[in-house]
Amino acid sequence: MSSTEERIRALVDANLQIEGRAAGSPLTPDLNIVDAGVSSTDVVAFWRLVCEEFGVDIPAEEFAELLTPSDLIAYLDARSG
Amino acid sequence: MSGKLLEPTPEATEEPEHWCSPFRAFDDVRVLYVDLSTGYGREQRAVSWLDDTERHRRDRFVYGRPRHRFTLCRAALRSVLCHQLDCHNQHLAFEASKHGKPYALVRGRPAPINFNVSHSGRHGLIALAPGGRVGVDVEERVPHRNLYELIEAVFGPNEKHELAAANNRDRLHLFFRLWTMKEALSKAHGMGLSLDVSRFEIPHDMRHGATSGCVRFTGMPGAWRLEDTSADRFAAALAYEQVRP
Repeated sequence: MSSTEERIRALVDANLQIEGRAAGSPLTPDLNIVDAGVSSTDVVAFWRLVCEEFGVDIPAEEFAELLTPSDLIAYLDARSG
Repeated sequence: MSGKLLEPTPEATEEPEHWCSPFRAFDDVRVLYVDLSTGYGREQRAVSWLDDTERHRRDRFVYGRPRHRFTLCRAALRSVLCHQLDCHNQHLAFEASKHGKPYALVRGRPAPINFNVSHSGRHGLIALAPGGRVGVDVEERVPHRNLYELIEAVFGPNEKHELAAANNRDRLHLFFRLWTMKEALSKAHGMGLSLDVSRFEIPHDMRHGATSGCVRFTGMPGAWRLEDTSADRFAAALAYEQVRP
């Protein structure tokens, strides 16, 4: 089974336009996706896709605090653990 | 677009205030348009307006275009606020509320003005309100690969029904109209991404073409004025608190 990081990376590759980032390249752990230039519409779509992929319901106010890969992966691992 | 564009001046010497043009005004709330389709010289000029905190934030942008947009919008905001508040740039600073909404300080004290900034692609908007809270949003109408996930995530039952009934082109226009209105309200309220915007709907008349309306949140005091300020090139909306005299 893929790791949480691999699943998040696949979602990022397929859904987020991060200018300059090659698909499949490692995620920058502490890079806030808003600071990477991701639009608010993409952030919200990404939130829903993460919920679907991991079968969890993340409240909007919690997802707003999970905008770096490291925070999001830690949160999802904690929820599944 | 209703605001007039100012005469261009040499990028390297002009003040950021000259990058803005009047866009719309409602009551005592003003919206300025910031042209972000400009070159490197203007960005270099803009950097000189930023303080150390902003330059540090600027350095965190890994990619050029988001960094360019942030830099120009923040310098333009600084210039406009300095003019509005009659203060020097070095006395102006910004802090953020719990949910990340910035506010201005002059010599360490909260400034008597509310503002909000939005940018998308080549377009930036700055909203200024002397009284209550204000929020603004602008979006270029580009097709979105996850449109259906977004519709599910952010809209209420009536909004979803009306989006489903629209043809493809009208659906994209309606989506961005409703989205910018919800974003403007969310930003005005100060909740940003933390507010689950699917819990309220844009008023019926505004969903069907009216460009102005009033919104009240269930269980919360106060009323918000909502304006659809869309132009040919982008969708945009303004929300501001209706302050009792």
